[in-house]
Amino acid sequence: MAETICIPGERLGSVDHYKAGEGTYVRHGFIFSNLAGYKRTTPVDDGEIPELTVVSRKQSSVIPEVRSVVTVKSTHKFCSCAILGVEGKSLRETFRGMIRREDIRATEKDKVEVYKSFRPGDIVLARVLSLGDARSYLLTTAENELGVVLAQSEAGVNLVPISWCEMICPKTHVKELRKVAKVQPDYIQTT
Amino acid sequence: MAGLELLSDQGFRLDGRRPHELRKIQCKMGVFKQADGSAYIEQGNTKALATVYGPHEVTGSRSKIEHDKVLINCQYSMATFSTGERRSRSKGDRKSQEMQLHLKKTFEAAILTQLYPRSQIDIYVQILQADGGNYSACVNAATLAIIDAGIPMKDFVCASTAGFVSDTPIVDISYLEESQGGPELVVALLPKSDQIVEFQVNSRLHLDNFENVLDMAVKGCKDIHAVLSRAVKENVSELASHMNKT
Repeated sequence: MAETICIPGERLGSVDHYKAGEGTYVRHGFIFSNLAGYKRTTPVDDGEIPELTVVSRKQSSVIPEVRSVVTVKSTHKFCSCAILGVEGKSLRETFRGMIRREDIRATEKDKVEVYKSFRPGDIVLARVLSLGDARSYLLTTAENELGVVLAQSEAGVNLVPISWCEMICPKTHVKELRKVAKVQPDYIQTT
Repeated sequence: MAGLELLSDQGFRLDGRRPHELRKIQCKMGVFKQADGSAYIEQGNTKALATVYGPHEVTGSRSKIEHDKVLINCQYSMATFSTGERRSRSKGDRKSQEMQLHLKKTFEAAILTQLYPRSQIDIYVQILQADGGNYSACVNAATLAIIDAGIPMKDFVCASTAGFVSDTPIVDISYLEESQGGPELVVALLPKSDQIVEFQVNSRLHLDNFENVLDMAVKGCKDIHAVLSRAVKENVSELASHMNKT
């Protein structure tokens, strides 16, 4: 099938026949393209209406939204961090985020100590709690699936998780404290 | 009009165009690697370069952050060698500040700003050679650069100018025609939906003639849209063929 190129502002179809997907917008009951790229329709089962999308050569840029899971790198002692990716898509540039002490874990919030949860350089999975103040996004790790996924020990070796709050260095066998994420098996990529 | 006859008896303009004819447009997308999007356009002797960065985190003053839409930051400059007389221009002079504001308003109307709250898009345009219609060259170049960057837009923004000489509306006026002191209309249009996003009249124009001149400017915008959309389509298919090869 020859692919059709579409340009911003081009009318692709009516909302009665298609669902508006990525790269499109709806105006007056019609679907228009908002990018320059190729028109795609996703095939669906009978009875459903197909989704229209416009695929651009450049990956459409994402920004963190409320409730989306983000990958962050902890940059500072006080839970401030740089957001590297949103929902599996990497960002072109980092956004600033912050995990407050109360949002590190769900239970025994008052006993949490930041240095026992994150260290600078850790790669952490977190969820966007709110858009926060003007300075940064507010993030939370108060879920089993959220927390540290990658961290290095003082010896410079990747730590291995042994419980939800401890990681061990395979070289020196020193235990270090972290708020460890219980990574879901379907997200683990085995090489 | 002193000395110069802008429209000859045969109906030709000084540069040999007919009243409804545009100057030759040449454009190129993706001229810079380091920017997210870039474009270069020539409309006759007016040459403009546009680069786009973003959307990214808001830089500078935090108070500028918009919580429901993206912040559009425009910067306009003219090269020292862009006019007949070489002149170094300060960056923040009145003329370019005004132009920046116009460009900002224009693109706020065209970009789907609500998609990227709390972020910023930078649009930098520079005039390399000025020969009338600087604003329209900037808008057209920036449109191409935004498309190159993959930033969602409602529609193209095409801008054109129109003048009025000896009872005839003329489109896409050059510096020579501009400087004779006749009326000038500047229009930026969303061509597919026929919406005017920017409109400016310099000097006085009788209301009886207004409609005709506006129609001419709008027609100029649509002609520009035809040229630009062909360029964009070529660019998309060219890039796709490059990708298939590798």
